[in-house]
Amino acid sequence: MIRVLVTGQLKDLTKGAREVDLETAGDLSGVVRDLDASFPGIGRKIVDDQGRIRRYVNVFVNAENAKSLENEKTRLRDGDVVHILPSVAGG
Amino acid sequence: MVLLVGTRKGAFIYTSDGPRQKWKASGPHLKGNEVYHMAYDRRNGTVLASVISNHWGPTVARSADLGGQWKESKTPPKFPKRSGLSVARLWQIKPGGDDEPGVVYAGVEPACLFRSDDGGESWKVNRPLMKHKTRTKWNPGGGGLCLHTILPNQRNPKRMHIGISAVGTLRTDDGGETWKFQNKNVLADFFPEGQKYPEFGQCVHKLASNPAKPDVIFHQNHCGVYRSDDAGESWVDIRNNLPSRFGFPIAVDANNPRRAYVAPLEGDFSRIPPDGHFAVWGTDNAGMEWFRLDRGLPAESYYTVLRDGMVADEEDPCGLYFGTTTGHLFASRDQGESWQRISDGLPPILSVSACRV
Repeated sequence: MIRVLVTGQLKDLTKGAREVDLETAGDLSGVVRDLDASFPGIGRKIVDDQGRIRRYVNVFVNAENAKSLENEKTRLRDGDVVHILPSVAGG
Repeated sequence: MVLLVGTRKGAFIYTSDGPRQKWKASGPHLKGNEVYHMAYDRRNGTVLASVISNHWGPTVARSADLGGQWKESKTPPKFPKRSGLSVARLWQIKPGGDDEPGVVYAGVEPACLFRSDDGGESWKVNRPLMKHKTRTKWNPGGGGLCLHTILPNQRNPKRMHIGISAVGTLRTDDGGETWKFQNKNVLADFFPEGQKYPEFGQCVHKLASNPAKPDVIFHQNHCGVYRSDDAGESWVDIRNNLPSRFGFPIAVDANNPRRAYVAPLEGDFSRIPPDGHFAVWGTDNAGMEWFRLDRGLPAESYYTVLRDGMVADEEDPCGLYFGTTTGHLFASRDQGESWQRISDGLPPILSVSACRV
C-alpha cells in the first residue's frame, strides 16, 4: 500500500481527500497513473505530456524529493508515503 | 458587446450597453492562472480560454454562461508519448466555421496545431505539422516557439493560415494534411547577409484578415508590416509612413477590408512607443498611408500591447480595443478616432477578444 498525500488545488480533484491509499507496485509513474485512474485529470497536473514531473511540482517519497532520487522512475515499496506539493516558484 | 480579457493573473469579462459606452466587469475568472487567449464560440455560446498554471500546466477551460462556471477539457491538448514534445503553453484558441460545428483549433508551444471535434472537450494533434520535415530547424522567438495565430478561411474550409514565431507563415489547402511556407519577400534581417529572405525563419508577430476577403492578409512582423493579396503567396511591405516597422498586434476592420490597425513600438531592442506616446495607427487604403489614432490616450504612455492585445469588433462603425502590459484597457467605438479608458488596474494583459453576444 502506498499512501499519497495531496494538498492545495489538487484536493479539488480528489473530491477534498487529502490522503489516498493506492495498491500501486513499481515506481512513481505508476502512482500518477493509478491516481489519475481514480481521479481523472489529476495526472496531467503532476506530469507533462511525456510523463515527466512538472518543473514546479515537487513529489516527495518519504520526505525525499523525487528530483534528487530518480524522478518519476523512483521505485516504491509497500508502506511508502508520497507527498505531492506545488513548489516554491518565486523569489 | 463582450470583451474577453486574458491576463497574467486570470480572465476578466466586460459587458457593454448597446452603444458600447458603459462597461460592466466580472472577474478575475480562473484566478491566478495565465490566460493567454479567449474566444467566444458563437455557434454554441461557449467561452473558451487557454489557461496556463505555472505549477499544474496548461489546459482549456470552457464556460457556457459567460464565466459563471468553468469546466476544464476532459483531454486537453497533449503531444503523443513518442514525440518527445510536451505542451508548455496554449497561445491561441479559435472556433471553426459555421459549417464545421464542434470544431475548435488551438495553437500551442512548442509550435503545433491541435483540433477538437467536440467543442474543446478533447483534442488531437495535427501530425503533419508535428512531423514537418523542417521542424528540427525551427527556432523560437522571444516568446518561445509558439503557434500564435490561426486564420481559418471562411470561404474555403480546407484552407487555413497559421503563424509561428520564429518560423513564419504557413498555409494548408487540404485541411491540415500538408503545410506550405508562405514567406516570400518577408525580411528576416537577423540572419546573415545573403540569407535575409529565407524560405522560413521569419518572425511573424500577428496575422489578420477580413472574413469577407480572407485571401487578403495583413501581417505585423518583427521586421516590417506586410500585406498579401494572394492568400500569402507573396507579401508587399506596407510600412510606408509608420513611425516604426516593429510592433506586435494587427487588426482589420470587419466592414472595410482596406482598413487595418497596428500599434508601433520602437524596435527591436527598446520596445517602447515612439516618443513615449503610445498610439494606434490606422490605414484606409490597405497600408499605402497610415494615420495616427491617439485622441483620448495619455500623452505619456509607455505602453506595450502584446500580439493578441488588440482586436477589432464586427460592428459598424468598427469598435477597437487594446490592453497593455501595464493593465490598461482602452476602447474606441469610432474606428480608433477616439479612445475611452475602461480600466487602468488590471494585471498585465495578454489578450483581448471582442464578440457580440
